Amino acid sequence: MTSMLVQDLHKTYKGALEPSLKGLSFSFPEGSIVGLLGPNGAGKTTTISILCGLVKADAGQVQIFDQQQHTANREAIKKLIGVVPQQIALFPHLTAIENLEYFGNLYGLKGKPLRSLIDRYLQAFGLEKAGHKQVHHYSGGMKRRTNIIAAILHQPRLLILDEPTAGVDVQSRTMILQFLREYNQQGVSIVYTSHLLDEAQTICSEVVIIDEGKAVVQGGTQELIARHDDCRNLEDVFLHYTGHALRD
Amino acid sequence: MLRLLATIRKEWLLLLRDRTGLTLLFAMPVVLITVMALIEDAPFRDYQELKFDILTVDNDGGRLGKYIKEGLGQTSQFKVIDSVQGAPVTEQKARALVNEGNYQICIIIPKGATGAIVSNANKIVNDISSRMGMPEHVLPVSNRKDSLHVTVYFDPAAKKAFKSAIHQALDNFLTQVETDMLLERIKQQLKRKDAGDENDSMNIQLKAVGLKEQLTGPSQELDVISNSVQHNVPAWSIFAMFFIVIPIAGNMIREREDGSMLRMKLIPGSYLAILAGKMLFFVGVCVVQFYLMMQVGIYLLPLLGLPQLTLGQSFLAAFIVAIGIGLAATSYGILVGTVFKTPNQALNFGAISIVILSAIGGIWIPLEIMPPHMQLIGHLSPLSWGLDAINDIYLRNVGVSHIWGDVGKLVVFATVLLCIAAGIEKRRLS
Repeated sequence: MTSMLVQDLHKTYKGALEPSLKGLSFSFPEGSIVGLLGPNGAGKTTTISILCGLVKADAGQVQIFDQQQHTANREAIKKLIGVVPQQIALFPHLTAIENLEYFGNLYGLKGKPLRSLIDRYLQAFGLEKAGHKQVHHYSGGMKRRTNIIAAILHQPRLLILDEPTAGVDVQSRTMILQFLREYNQQGVSIVYTSHLLDEAQTICSEVVIIDEGKAVVQGGTQELIARHDDCRNLEDVFLHYTGHALRD
Repeated sequence: MLRLLATIRKEWLLLLRDRTGLTLLFAMPVVLITVMALIEDAPFRDYQELKFDILTVDNDGGRLGKYIKEGLGQTSQFKVIDSVQGAPVTEQKARALVNEGNYQICIIIPKGATGAIVSNANKIVNDISSRMGMPEHVLPVSNRKDSLHVTVYFDPAAKKAFKSAIHQALDNFLTQVETDMLLERIKQQLKRKDAGDENDSMNIQLKAVGLKEQLTGPSQELDVISNSVQHNVPAWSIFAMFFIVIPIAGNMIREREDGSMLRMKLIPGSYLAILAGKMLFFVGVCVVQFYLMMQVGIYLLPLLGLPQLTLGQSFLAAFIVAIGIGLAATSYGILVGTVFKTPNQALNFGAISIVILSAIGGIWIPLEIMPPHMQLIGHLSPLSWGLDAINDIYLRNVGVSHIWGDVGKLVVFATVLLCIAAGIEKRRLS
C-alpha cells in the first residue's frame, strides 16, 4: 500500500511574490523511511504543513494511506500521523511526564495505559530518571528525545520528523536514529527532513529532493547515488540536482 | 471533556510554577486597591464627614456671634477657633492666617450685628401690632440705615463646592437667628396683650414639615454610602482582573513561539476545547482575584481606618458579574495574544489599553462626574459595564434579575473578541 501520495500540489501564501509549491508530486510505499530533502526555501515546511492538515493547498491532492485529504476527514488523517516539529514543542515549565500526560490526554489517552506508555518510551529514550524534571532544565538532546515521544504516544502509522537531530550531541543523535530504525521495523512509515545528508543517507531507504516548490528527483537512496558517476554520496546527489547557488 | 480538564490542569501547573506571575496576579492588586482606597479616601468623603478649623472673629459680642459659634461647634463639621496662641484673633490676623493657608475659612461677625437683627425683628413686630390694633406696646427700633454683613474669607485654594457648602451653612444660621428673634418678639408682644391670662402658655412651632431620607433600593436594611472603599475596591478589582490580559497574551505568544500550540493543533480534536479549558482556568483566576479583593475591602481596609466594604445582598448576582468580567478580560487577553507576535508588543498594548479603558470606564473617577461626551464614551468600556453591575448590587441592593443587561454586554463583548481572534488565526494559517 502507498503510505503517502502527493499529486500536483500548489500553494502561494497571501502576499507572497513567489509560490511556495509549484506542482509538487511524489509518493512512497508503506513501511519506508523517506528523506524529504531540499535547500532552504525549497518548500519542505509548506509540504509538511499541508500533509499535517495545518495549511490548505491551493490545488492538488494528498492521500495518506487510504484517506484522501480534504476538510471532512482532516481529523481522521491527524490520527494516522505523528509530527515531530523542528521546534521543541513542549511546555518548558512542565516536567516531561506532565508534558506527555497532557499531550496524551489531548489524544484521548488517560489513566494507567497512558502512564505505562509514557514509562515505556521514557525508558526507551533514556529519560526514565529525568521524567520528573522540568523540561527547561534538560539538555538539547533530552528535549529532542522528549519531543519525539510526544509525537508517537498515539501510535501513528506515519511519523513526520522535521530536523529531529538539529543541535544534539552524537550520543543523542545515534539513539534517535537507532530508535527510528526500530520504530520503522514495527511497520511505521517515516518522513524525515534534514540538512544532515550523511544522516539521511544512513537512515533513509528513499529520498525525495525538492527545489523551488517541485520534486526534482525521487528514488532509492543507494540507487540515486549509483545513478551518477560523479556522485559518491547523497550530498553529491543533492548538489547535482539543486546546484551550488546560494539560497535566500 | 478530557481535553478541557487536561488543559485546566496544565494551566494550573504552569501558574503554580510561575511564582513571580502568581505574586503579580494576586499580591499586586491587593497593594493597588489598598493604596488607591487610602489615597482617594479624602476626596471621596463628604464635607460633612470632614472636620474643619474655622476662625471666628466676633466683633459683635452679642447673640448672633454666640449663636453662630455654638451652632458651628455643635456640628461635627467645624471646630470653632477664636484665639490663636492664647490671644483673641483679630480680623487682620485672621485674614493673614487664611491667606497663608493655615486655615481654610474665617468668619467675621460685625459689631452691632445682633442689634441690627433685633431692630429688624422689632420693626416687623411693631408693624404687625399696629395693623392688629395694638399700638400701645411699641418696641425700640434703630435708625441705622446701612446694612451689616457677616464676612467670610476663604483660603484661595478652597474648592467651589466647599465654599458653597459653607455659604449654605452660614446662611442657615443667620436665617435661624433672625427667625428665632422674630418669633421671640411676637411672643413677647402677644404676652403683653394677654397679660391678665396666666394660664395661656404660648407655643409656636415653626417647622410643620421636615425632611426624611429614605433608601430607594429593594432592601431597606442597608444604608450604603458611596465612599472611597465602596468605589475603589470594586473598581480596582475590575481593573486588576482585566490585567489578566498580560499573562494570557504572554502565555499564547509563548505557546506559539515554542511550538506547543502547533503540537496542540496537530492533535486530532477541536482546538476549541483546549481554548475553552484555557479560558475556564483564567476566568476562575479572575473570580478568585475578585473575591480576594473583596476580602481586602471587608477585613484589611477597616484596619487602616477606612470604612468596611458592603457587599449588598445578592451574592449570586455578584458571582455572575465576576464571571462576566472574567470572560471579557480573558477573551481580550486571547485576542491580544493572537494579534501580537511578541510578548513585548502584547505587554505594552495590553497594559496601556487597559489603563485607557479603565480611565474612560469610570475606574479612576466615577463616570457621573465626567463631562457628558466622556460619559457617553465611558459607557462603551467593558470595565464600566462590570462596575455598573457591581455598584447596582453593592449600592442599590439589586438582585440577579437587574444585572443581565451589563452581564449580557460583557458576554457579547467576549464572544465578538473570540470570533475576531479566530478569524485572525485562520487568516494566519492560510
